[in-house]
Amino acid sequence: MTTAAAAGTRKASPRGWREKDKYWGMFFVAPQALGMFLFTLLPFAFAFFLAFTEWNGFGMPRIIGFENFQNQLTSPLLGRAIINTLVIAVVTVPIGLFLAIIAATVLNKIKGRAFYLVLFFAPVVTSAVAIALIWQQLLRADGVISGFLTNTFGIPPIDWLGHPWLALMAVCLVTVWSSLGLNIVIFMAGLQSISPSVLEAAAIDGAGPVARFFKVVLPLLSPIVFYQSVVAFISSLQTFDLVFVLVNNAGPDNGTRTIVYHIYDLGFAKSQFGLSSAASIVLLALTLVITAIQFGAQKKFVHYEG
Amino acid sequence: MTSFTRRQFGGFAGLLATAAVAGPILTACSGSGGQSSMGKVVWSTWGSPEDLKSFDRFEEAFKADHADIELVFQPTPSYSEYHSKLLTQLSTGTAPDVFYIGDDRVASVIRNDVLMPIEDAAVKEEDFAKNVLDIARWEGKLYALPNDVNPDTLWYDKEALAAAGITEDPAELAENDQWTTEVFFDMTSKLVAAGLTGAVYWNYWATHDGFMTTNGGQVYDADGNYVAHTDANSVAAMEAYAERFQAGELKLADLLPEGAGSETLLVTHKLGFLAAGRYTIGAIRGAGVDENLYDIVRWPTKDGKAAPTGVAASYLAVNAKAADPEAALTFFSAFLDADGQRLRLEGQGNAVPSINGADDIVLNGDYPAHAQTMLDMRDMGYSNFATEAAVPDLSNQIAVEYMQPLYEGKKDAQTTLDEVAALVAEKTQS
Repeated sequence: MTTAAAAGTRKASPRGWREKDKYWGMFFVAPQALGMFLFTLLPFAFAFFLAFTEWNGFGMPRIIGFENFQNQLTSPLLGRAIINTLVIAVVTVPIGLFLAIIAATVLNKIKGRAFYLVLFFAPVVTSAVAIALIWQQLLRADGVISGFLTNTFGIPPIDWLGHPWLALMAVCLVTVWSSLGLNIVIFMAGLQSISPSVLEAAAIDGAGPVARFFKVVLPLLSPIVFYQSVVAFISSLQTFDLVFVLVNNAGPDNGTRTIVYHIYDLGFAKSQFGLSSAASIVLLALTLVITAIQFGAQKKFVHYEG
Repeated sequence: MTSFTRRQFGGFAGLLATAAVAGPILTACSGSGGQSSMGKVVWSTWGSPEDLKSFDRFEEAFKADHADIELVFQPTPSYSEYHSKLLTQLSTGTAPDVFYIGDDRVASVIRNDVLMPIEDAAVKEEDFAKNVLDIARWEGKLYALPNDVNPDTLWYDKEALAAAGITEDPAELAENDQWTTEVFFDMTSKLVAAGLTGAVYWNYWATHDGFMTTNGGQVYDADGNYVAHTDANSVAAMEAYAERFQAGELKLADLLPEGAGSETLLVTHKLGFLAAGRYTIGAIRGAGVDENLYDIVRWPTKDGKAAPTGVAASYLAVNAKAADPEAALTFFSAFLDADGQRLRLEGQGNAVPSINGADDIVLNGDYPAHAQTMLDMRDMGYSNFATEAAVPDLSNQIAVEYMQPLYEGKKDAQTTLDEVAALVAEKTQS
């Protein structure tokens, strides 16, 4: 009787429980919300404010309106940084995704794939600084790569990091190499989610391996390709640590100056935090535009089941 | 579906805002960021592990003499990263108590009121090389003193010169006031004709300013205005040196490939001259070559007589927010006095003392043969110009974005110097 009465009371006041749930919910969300507010929203708002000021990190910022944007949008250095960054993105994203799909398709069919996956994935869990230092040694004029080319083909030693375009291509090479493992793992997960019956049906209908890949596998994989391309493009637009360590002073003739390096250079080397913030807003706008284009293009190229 | 009332949401947002505001306030109130405390001195500098070894003897001696002061050393490997880190630490109140500052940065840091004037230190400015002090002065007060200095002497390889058929000794020519720019260029041409590299310089303020001042030119006037572009001698000097760079006789050390850097070229007898400091002794001895094949000479000049050149220096400063100012100043003085410099620079030390009474450090080893040249160049030379050093990264920007294209033949000297003048005016007016 007592139990029934209590149950009746509980049923009779669901609003009280909802109230308590609300506070528990707020309690659990609070650390994350606080972190996001402190380390994402607040810095973003501060950077947005700084973009309209002149500030060297000391004292009070001086509001100067749109002067920083005017300066940056006519800056040849930012122009060079945008071109370099777009080159890195345009070269590394398609090549990286293409190689990852090929590798994932092959690994999906062979035995002992775990071993190869470990090999491919190792660079993903290695720090970018360590990767850059190792590749710096490999790409030296007297490094292993130049040595191999000289000994095998008689090509004079090449200083890969000493020429603007070669240095930029070297950054692309290392970027593709270091991100391949993650792309492979994600594509393999996508491949394994494709029902074998779909592939069998295609085979029964007379589709060969190549036709099955292009007509069945690739369309079913397209949502993952789209997701990876968006993530990889945004990641490429934020290239910094690799070029910072691999090539000194933004490379010869600013050959590897990327947008984020430019932001760092203005803010932390030249103490021009207003200009640096304006450049970061330009990067945000560029990222939004490119992502919007990608989302627009997905309607044509991405196949969603159901 | 659960919904929030305006009041509930307001309370939650208020909590977040309070925490957000409290964070920076707590940081600001913590002085030197909790790194330091009474009886403790946190100090920092830049340098490779090899460079940092030179501080071991000093630290040991200091700890023996000041058992009540705990030392915490926070080195950073790279020069450029060091200053980025230091400026961030200074602006957030978390900088070390005592720290190095480069000569291209010191004037700009001083102007932000984050350093302690050093008039109460036991070491006095009268004891230091005067020509490198002005850069550390602001509104009549001195805020930093040079740890040590490094005039870029021209190290030359007698074997390389002989291989190029050069029979005259540059140091002897200098002693007789016959060491002219013309003679020097003649030697670099011969070195290149013999398949060697003529001379290598680091691309920084002391190099291009030195090209001008050794050829009768002026870089800044007494009021701190950039005048190189209006000085015919400066323009002619930059044009002449740029032509030699374009001809491949002169090279920038910064652009040499890894593994074939300036010191490697020098110790393998592939280079005639290297503009570098006293640290080159370590490179020569480390390579195991016959050290007597190398000597030093001042920079060649238009008329062969000695002229001032840039003296690279690093400065030591005390944080205005040092937790224990007395301990910080004790460390500051011990680091800079003659004994401190002796502990840091004796033997194969990498620099020249900046204080009176310690010159024997340079002369005692009898190496290189003309070691006195380092002291002469220090006494005659000049530090980075305060106008330039007052703007963060301006010296580096001039070197990398203006002088390098000139050396590469992308612009002529007059255009380059006009652009530098415009840049300096723009940066110093704002």
